[in-house]
Amino acid sequence: MADIEQADTAESQDARKRLMRTGRISPVYFTIALLVVVGLLFYLGNRNFLSLYNLNTIISFSAILLMVALGQTCAILVGGIDLSVGGLVSFISVVFILLIEPLGYLAYPACLLIGVIVGYINGNILTRIKIPSFIATLATGGILTSLAYIASSGAGAPRPVNLSPANYHVVDNIVNGRLLNVSKVLYIGFAVLVLFYIILRFTSTGRNIFYVGSNIKMSWMSGISISKTRNIAFILSGAGAAITGLLISSVRYGGDPMVGNAYILNSIAAVVVGGTALTGGAGGVINTLFGAIFMSMLDNGMNVVGINQYFQQAILGAMVIVGVTLTFDRTKTPIVK
Amino acid sequence: MSDTSNGANQDTVVQLHQITKVYPGVVALDRVDLAVRKNEVLGLVGENGAGKSVLMKIMIGLEQPDEGTIVLRGEQIALRNSADSIKNGIGMVFQDGSLVPNLSVTENVFLCHEADFRKVGILSLRAMRDAARELLAQMKLYINVDLPVTEISSAERQMVEIARLLWLSRQYGQENPVLILDEPTTVLADEERNRLFSILQDIKKQASIILISHRLQEILENSDRIVVLKDGRNVTEIPAAEAKLSRIEQLMVGHTFSTDRFQEDEQVTPRDREILKVENLSKAGFFEPLSFTVREREIVGLVGLVGSGKEAVCNCIAGLDKADTGDIFLGGRKLPGGSPSAAVRAGIGHIPIDRRSEGLALMMSVAENVNLLVLNHLKTAGLLSPVREKKNAQYWISECQIKTPSIGTLCANLSGGNQQKTVISKWLSSRVRLLILDHPTRGVDVGAKDEIYKLIRRLAKEGIGMLIMCDTLEEDIGLASRMLVMKDGRLVKEIDSSSHNKPAPQDIIGLIV
Repeated sequence: MADIEQADTAESQDARKRLMRTGRISPVYFTIALLVVVGLLFYLGNRNFLSLYNLNTIISFSAILLMVALGQTCAILVGGIDLSVGGLVSFISVVFILLIEPLGYLAYPACLLIGVIVGYINGNILTRIKIPSFIATLATGGILTSLAYIASSGAGAPRPVNLSPANYHVVDNIVNGRLLNVSKVLYIGFAVLVLFYIILRFTSTGRNIFYVGSNIKMSWMSGISISKTRNIAFILSGAGAAITGLLISSVRYGGDPMVGNAYILNSIAAVVVGGTALTGGAGGVINTLFGAIFMSMLDNGMNVVGINQYFQQAILGAMVIVGVTLTFDRTKTPIVK
Repeated sequence: MSDTSNGANQDTVVQLHQITKVYPGVVALDRVDLAVRKNEVLGLVGENGAGKSVLMKIMIGLEQPDEGTIVLRGEQIALRNSADSIKNGIGMVFQDGSLVPNLSVTENVFLCHEADFRKVGILSLRAMRDAARELLAQMKLYINVDLPVTEISSAERQMVEIARLLWLSRQYGQENPVLILDEPTTVLADEERNRLFSILQDIKKQASIILISHRLQEILENSDRIVVLKDGRNVTEIPAAEAKLSRIEQLMVGHTFSTDRFQEDEQVTPRDREILKVENLSKAGFFEPLSFTVREREIVGLVGLVGSGKEAVCNCIAGLDKADTGDIFLGGRKLPGGSPSAAVRAGIGHIPIDRRSEGLALMMSVAENVNLLVLNHLKTAGLLSPVREKKNAQYWISECQIKTPSIGTLCANLSGGNQQKTVISKWLSSRVRLLILDHPTRGVDVGAKDEIYKLIRRLAKEGIGMLIMCDTLEEDIGLASRMLVMKDGRLVKEIDSSSHNKPAPQDIIGLIV
C-alpha cells in the first residue's frame, strides 16, 4: 500500500506525469454535455420539447432503442459489430405477433430464444468459419429481413401483421400500461440494463469481452477462450435485438417487417456517441445508456421542431459524426516515454 | 559541472538553451541545456521519465518548448513542425522505425520527395532506384532496393532510415546534419550492432549523432561525450573517455548499484524435482528433436542467435505453436500441444517479448490486468467481487513494487518497467509453476531492471522454474543457473552456470555463431 501513496519516488512521479499528460476526461461527460446542448437547442426551437409528455415519449423510445443498443455494445466491445440487428428486430417483430396465437405468454421467451440462437449463429460464423463479423452479420441480417417479409405475408408483398384484439391482454399485462405512474416499458428497460451491467462488469465472461476487445493476442496467450467470449457477446447482441422487437410489437399491437431497418444505424450510433470505442475493449453500458437517450432525443427533437423529414437523415448522420468526434477515446493514441 | 551552456562555441551545431516544458501538473523539462557539436557522437542517457524523449521531440519540432531557445548554426530558430526540423538538417530514427511497411526501399528513401525524379510529370523509377542504390552503397549496404521493407532485416531498415535522413539534409543544403538515434540497438543482434557503430563512426565525419540508449556500455564505447538527464534536469556532461559505467548509473538513478548486478549472491540452488520435461520436441523449419528439463527453483537460460530456434521452442512450450514431434510434460503430466489455455491451466506462464502488443490490455487498468488470470478466485456468490479484486490487485502491486498512482490507472500510462512488472504479477498471481521470460528487461531503464532481477530471484526462491531469454549474454549468464545453447535449430550444449561457476561470455559466443 505504501508504494501507491509514495509521492517522492521518480517512478511514481513518472506515472503521474503520464496520467496528467493525457488529460483524459471520461467520454460519458462529453455525451451528457452534448445531450444538454442539443436539448437546449431543440427547446429553443419549440417550447413543447421539454414538456412532460414529450419527455416521456423520448424516454420510452430510448428504452426501446437501448435494448438493441446494449446488445450492440457487447458486439462492439468484443471487437466486432452486429449488422444483423435490423433484420432480427424486424423478424422478431413479426414472429412475435404470429406466435402469440398459439403460445400466448410463452411467445415472449420463445422470441428471446430465437434471438439467442441467431446470436449464437452469428458468433459461430465468426469463430468457426472465420468470416469477419462485419460481413457475416450483414449477410445474416439480409437473410433475417427476407424471413421477416415472408413471415409477414407469405409470397406476397411484406405488410404489417396485426395482433388480434382477443390477444391484447398478453401484451397489455406485460408491457403496456403503467405501474406507479411509470410506463412498464421503463421498468423492463431498466431491468435489462441492470442485467447487462452485471454480466459485463461482474462475470468473468463479461470481463473477458473487454480483454478480448482490448488485446486479442494477449487474451489468447493468457488462455482466454476467444471463441467462447465472442459467441457470448453475439448471443447478448441477439438477445438485445430480440427484446427490442418484442417491445415494439407489444407497444404497437402489431408487427412490421420494415421496422428494424433504422435500428442498424441507430444502435451503432447510440453505442459510439455514448463513448464506447469502435475498436473494442473500452466503454460500457452506461455509455450506451446516454448514447441511446441522445439518439432518441435527436429523433424526437427533429420532429418536434419541424425539420423536414427528408433532411432528418442528413442531420442524423452529421450529428453522429459530431457526437463520435467529441466522445471518441483519444487515449488510444500511443504514449511515448 | 555542466558546460553545455557554452553557446558561442564555433563547433556547436545546435544549442538548446534553458529549455522548459510543462505538461498539466508536471514539469517534464526544467531549464535543460544541450549542445551538439560538429562531428561528434553524443550519448544521451537517463531513466524513463528523465525527459530525453521530450527533449528530442522538441529538437525535431514535434513539441514546442514553453521557455528556452534553440540556436541552430548560430541563428535562433523556432521549429514549428517536423518538416521544419528536417529542412534544418535535424532528423530522428525512432525506436520502432518509421518506414512504410508495404513500400519498397527506394520508395521509402525518397518518400514525399519524388519530385526530384520527375520529368514531364512522370516519375523515373530507374533514376530513383539507381540513386537509392548509390546512397546505400555509401553506407556499405548492398541490398535489393525493390524489396518491400518488411522483407529486409531490422538492421537494414535502420540503415535505410539513416540514409534517408542524410539524403534529405543534403537536399536542403544543410551541412553537418544532426542525426538522433533512439534505442537503435534493441532490435539488433551483436554483429549488426557492431556494424551500425562502425558506420556511425564513418557518418560522424559529415554529421553529428545523438545516441539514446539504455545500454550504458554501448554509450560508453561509442560516444565522444555523454550527457545525463534526471527528472527533467541536466545532471552532468562528461567526455566518454573519462566516464565510468558505475558512475553513470549512479548519476542516472541517484544511488549506486552493487557490482553484483544480477544479484548472483541471491541465486538459489535448484531442487531436484523436475517441473518441465521436454522430450524429443521438434518443429520442421525451426528446430530439430531436442530434450531438456527444468527443475523447481531453477533458472535456465536459453541462448542462441536469431534463427537458432530458441523462440520457437518457447512458443511450443507455452502452447502458442504446435510441435511436430515429441512431448511436453509439466509436473509429470503430458500437455496437449498448440493450446495456450491448456498450458496456462497446467501452470505455464509466458512473459512475451512485446509487452505492449502481447502482454497487456493497455486501455484497461492495472488492477484489471493483474487480476486477469484469477477472476474465478475473486468471486463472491458467483459474481466478481470488487472488494476482492481490489485486495488482490493491491497485494500484487505492492509485492512486485509496481509504481502506479492508483490501481485504476490505465496500463498505457505506466512506464515500461512498471508495465513489465504488471505482466509479471499477472502470472505470479495465478500460481504459475513454470515461467517463460522472453527478454524480460527489454526497453526497461536501469532502476526498473534492478527491481525485475530482484523479482526473478524471488520467484526462484518460491519454487518457480524459469526458462529465460535475455537481451545480452551477460544477463543470461548472470541470471541463469544452467544454460542451454542453441544453434541452427539444434541444442548443442548444456553449460553449468551456478553462482560459483559462471562461464564467461567469450566461452559461449563461440558456440552460438
